[in-house]
Amino acid sequence: MRSTTEKMKVDPRDAKLSMAHFYVAFIALALGGLAGLLQVLVRSGNFQLPAPITYYQVLTVHGVLLGLVLTTFFIIGFQFAAMSRTAGTLSNGARKSGWLGFWLMTIGTAMAAAMVLLNKASVLFTFYAPLQAHPIFYGGLTLVVVGSWIGGGAMLTSYVRWRKQNPGKVSPLLSFMVVVNMLLWLVATIGVAATVLLQMLPWSLGLVDTIDVLISRTLFWYFGHPLVYFWLLPAYMCWYVIIPRIIGGKIFSDSLARMSFILFLLFSIPVGFHHQLTEPGIDPAWKFLQVALTFLVVIPSLMTAFSLFGTFEMYGRQKGAKGLFGWLKMLPWGDARFTVPFIGMVTFIPAGAGGMVNASHQMNQVVHNTIWVTGHFHLTLATAVILTFFGISYWLIPHLTGRVLTKKMNKLALIQGCLWAIGMIFMSGAMHAAGLLGAPRRSSFSTYGGSAQATEWIPYQIAQAVGGTILFVAIILVLIIFINLAFFAPKGEQEFPVGEAAETAEKTPLIFENWKLWLGVTVVLILFAYTIPLIDMIQNAPPGQKGFKLW
Amino acid sequence: MAMPELKTKTQTKVEDDHSSLKGTLASVFVLGCILIITWVSVYFLYLDRL
Repeated sequence: MRSTTEKMKVDPRDAKLSMAHFYVAFIALALGGLAGLLQVLVRSGNFQLPAPITYYQVLTVHGVLLGLVLTTFFIIGFQFAAMSRTAGTLSNGARKSGWLGFWLMTIGTAMAAAMVLLNKASVLFTFYAPLQAHPIFYGGLTLVVVGSWIGGGAMLTSYVRWRKQNPGKVSPLLSFMVVVNMLLWLVATIGVAATVLLQMLPWSLGLVDTIDVLISRTLFWYFGHPLVYFWLLPAYMCWYVIIPRIIGGKIFSDSLARMSFILFLLFSIPVGFHHQLTEPGIDPAWKFLQVALTFLVVIPSLMTAFSLFGTFEMYGRQKGAKGLFGWLKMLPWGDARFTVPFIGMVTFIPAGAGGMVNASHQMNQVVHNTIWVTGHFHLTLATAVILTFFGISYWLIPHLTGRVLTKKMNKLALIQGCLWAIGMIFMSGAMHAAGLLGAPRRSSFSTYGGSAQATEWIPYQIAQAVGGTILFVAIILVLIIFINLAFFAPKGEQEFPVGEAAETAEKTPLIFENWKLWLGVTVVLILFAYTIPLIDMIQNAPPGQKGFKLW
Repeated sequence: MAMPELKTKTQTKVEDDHSSLKGTLASVFVLGCILIITWVSVYFLYLDRL
């Protein structure tokens, strides 16, 4: 049943706000993608960057623009559109906050980008201490986070308004999911805000001489792991709510979808130590506890997989599919809005399998800091999530600009999705393989003094360059489609698809909207996983570190 | 009397086929196998390198 506030079309004023975010996101894609191409070419050993550009500078551009800017701007833009569509047009106050957040994020991005381009902040996108960037870089990142808080606050007020207008009713699924993702973001960014404002800024300004690297990395990873779920949950929104509508089926279960989002809120934060498994100064018992909590995140991921298979099979069988897998044939493979995110979904299977290896306490030593991790990251974020975001933009951009996705653009989008899959099989596959052979991540081309082991990696690095080049071609296609949908496609009505639960579905229980409960459990789990290790880190602190500028 | 019974049976069968999730069950088993095979492969590599 549709609620009274739900609009079939996003209000043009809200559409403008979303589109502003998308312009920045797709500019970031163009520049970050180019940086990625340069990287794989350098690593093939057959290309040198013209002076004064350095490999690590280009690596920082790639990571910051694609990992931080493209994702955050796309997500905030998409979520504003989703709130406007399902919880009603934004209030004037919320929209103004949205614009304030957008401008803060954009100014912050420009500040950070300027420092990276001036070679004052080649600290890679994780900006680990003791690598020390220019203070303006940290200031820029702070503005990006603060801007996202203001934007997130605007989304939360829209949800609160809906709840007041519809007492005792279950909120629209998409709005609920946006709320979970923004709460996750608000809780997680406290960690990065703490390390940037309390440690890195004073240290880079010269107010203090040294930094506690262990605390800084711990606060970063308190933020860094939920960050990947902040990227992933909007893709899940598409998979759970939008894809069923696109294929003409029903949401497998509204309650299951809400449950899985709540589980992500609970279990994606108190798990940062699985990124620090080889880090000295953290008691292995606490690492083990966080590893165990990490494996709990497998549950909602598997629930999602089950639910999606269920949606597809139910739809296929209604269409008369026979046999064990006959329903696969019934899916609308010619529709890029479905197929492009579907490639993302399939990619999430090997991505998740690799993630379980990364998070396994001792086995992490096999892959730690090798390019396997980069390969993993390019399956999760750079395929599962990003292909879904592209799939979303193929209908959302024309919806917001009052245009339509033409058959020609749909075909181009299908080619783009396939090229991406092929490019990524080469690039990520070679990264995984080279990683198992010990090839390090975040390293420019080197023969390591003619070492036999390093020689083994070179064919894989060439495969990465082949894959990376194919991916860059796919990025050009995305940009062509984006520009077409934003400015040139024929005028018309493009649907914003929002799925509905099956008529026979049980009523969704209201307990999922009990935020005091869920936030309470989240805080308890965080305190449980982090309090004692943090006290230990402070009491037995490593010597403070002076800043390094290795570029 | 036999006819309506027959009709009911046929209808039930059709409904069952529509709501069958055996493909989903098989798919999640395949997914589980991929997870286990990946994990076990790297585990043996780890043991080999100890």
